[in-house]
Amino acid sequence: MVGPYIIRRLLQAIPLLFGISIIIFLMLQMAPGGPLASGEAQASVTPEQIEKLRGHYGLDDPMPVQYLNWLGGVMTGDWGTSYDTGQPVLEAITERLPTTLVLTGLAFAISLLIAIPVGVVAATRQYSAFDYASTGLSFAGIATPSFWFGLMLLYVFSFQLDLLPSSGLTDLRVEHTGLAAVWDRTLHLIMPVAVLALIATANLTRYIRSSMLEVLGQDYVRTARGSGLPERRVILQHAGKNASIPVVTIAMLMIPDLFLGAVITETIFSIPGMGALFVHSAELRDYPVLLGILIIAALLVVITNLATDVIYGFLDPRISYQ
Amino acid sequence: MRLPPGPPSGGDLPEETARSLGAETWRQFRRHRLAVGGLVILGLLTVAVTVGPWLIPFDPYRIEASTANLGPSLTHLMGTDELGRDQLARILVGGRLTLAVSAAAVLVALVVGVAVGAVAGYAGGFVDNLLMRVVDIFYALPGLFIVILLVALIGPSFWTIVTAIAVLSWMNTARLVRSSFLSLKEKEFVEAARTVGASDARIVLRHILPNALSPVIVAATLGVANAILIESSLSFLGLGFQPPEATWGGLLSEAKSSVVITGHWWRGLFPGLMIFVTVLSANFIGDGLRDALDPRSAGNKKG
Repeated sequence: MVGPYIIRRLLQAIPLLFGISIIIFLMLQMAPGGPLASGEAQASVTPEQIEKLRGHYGLDDPMPVQYLNWLGGVMTGDWGTSYDTGQPVLEAITERLPTTLVLTGLAFAISLLIAIPVGVVAATRQYSAFDYASTGLSFAGIATPSFWFGLMLLYVFSFQLDLLPSSGLTDLRVEHTGLAAVWDRTLHLIMPVAVLALIATANLTRYIRSSMLEVLGQDYVRTARGSGLPERRVILQHAGKNASIPVVTIAMLMIPDLFLGAVITETIFSIPGMGALFVHSAELRDYPVLLGILIIAALLVVITNLATDVIYGFLDPRISYQ
Repeated sequence: MRLPPGPPSGGDLPEETARSLGAETWRQFRRHRLAVGGLVILGLLTVAVTVGPWLIPFDPYRIEASTANLGPSLTHLMGTDELGRDQLARILVGGRLTLAVSAAAVLVALVVGVAVGAVAGYAGGFVDNLLMRVVDIFYALPGLFIVILLVALIGPSFWTIVTAIAVLSWMNTARLVRSSFLSLKEKEFVEAARTVGASDARIVLRHILPNALSPVIVAATLGVANAILIESSLSFLGLGFQPPEATWGGLLSEAKSSVVITGHWWRGLFPGLMIFVTVLSANFIGDGLRDALDPRSAGNKKG
């Protein structure tokens, strides 16, 4: 049952990806100026050179031809080369992708580690001081712009206390090895991960709390309590398992948001990841790189959606696979 | 927590008469203290950014070396920047832009979302299917990247930023309106209107739409918060309005080295605080409206 279901969902994802790629391609084409606008403005570039470049990059072909060429290239691993550096797009992306994925993964893990216990405890002690404090903090967290939070952290921990490094991923002044290198990397990651995890943690805490509250009011929880099960088991096993179903969906859907949020984080802390590459390429109108990053990000969205559906299916046997 | 809406159990309103939806909503909304607080603060902020720049004795664009980098004082409540400009004055004119962009983006998104949702829900069948697939595609687009892209490629004008934010924000409204339309179009009052010969346009605009707006209003309020955050992020990345124009995100972007290298904390604290307070207020209002408009939502449940 689960097998064919997954295959069907995979097949449904294909037209979705096509649609996304067409929209992204059209958006890039509609931009005035075109990819060579910045070069055309320079007097040193002759019209002949522009003409040659246009031919070289296939910019004079009709749009559908350009799209199919590009799509065919994407399928076969040829993502084009950066107009700016001449580096193959796939290479530029794979160089920076791990950094962003590590940042995203750590932030996701941290937000789960904080949100699950806080949300569960807040729900089991509804209207307690702890509940009010955590709810208030989650509301504040959701409204906090991550770049402001980052800037304030920088002021306190880098400027005032001089405890944490303000930028980059490694200490460029000293060459660290072994454990010292790990420690150095950890110090550099603390603030970026905290900034990225903030909103996800706040959102998740709220969802987990309300999902737990919903489940704790159900009859089967009362039955479990009434039959004398220890409270710990009632909460973790009977309530927690059911409350986790909607939470898993929300949590999974946060992964793409975290990935996109990394743009801001990487900018504040000058971390050379995908987000920084994207902003840089957008300023230069480096179309092949932009297309490549957008496709990676869209793939991530589609894959997490798919994974969410599958996990949901395993968690909730009531879901029909028809 | 709160009692469900409906006939009061006696006491507060002795003579029960039929109340309009608006009055009933307001009555529910008023009980949500945080939402009322949010409404008051957002109202004050709007007034402040509208008339404030004329009231304070500093020109937000005037460069004055003698007043550079001053901390907050009674003269300069929020301090000054490295060019000697009063930060409160800059925050007020910047807030004007931020709020105007966000409001415009939400309105555009609302119009698009209502139109798509209404057509999909009313037409049903193939049209509905097609439009909902388009919604799916827009949901799967990497939002912030697309906004950055559009603004970077087309150039950071007011309407580019509004459009870029709106392009990524209409889908929720479309889904909400569609599902309302799907259920409302089967109702007797719609059938009655059709029987007496009302046109499709009249049925949609006059009979169904007003009944489908409640969830949309909530979505729009929360949309304002979202639009403010997107605009601020864009400006923080240096891709929004260009200097000397600066929205709150832009002020933070300019402040980065002052805060981190020279420790001028006021440059970072106040613009961010404005975003925070505004977004928080909009979220509270949205929550209050949801509880007031939707009798099934958590806030109206007993216990």
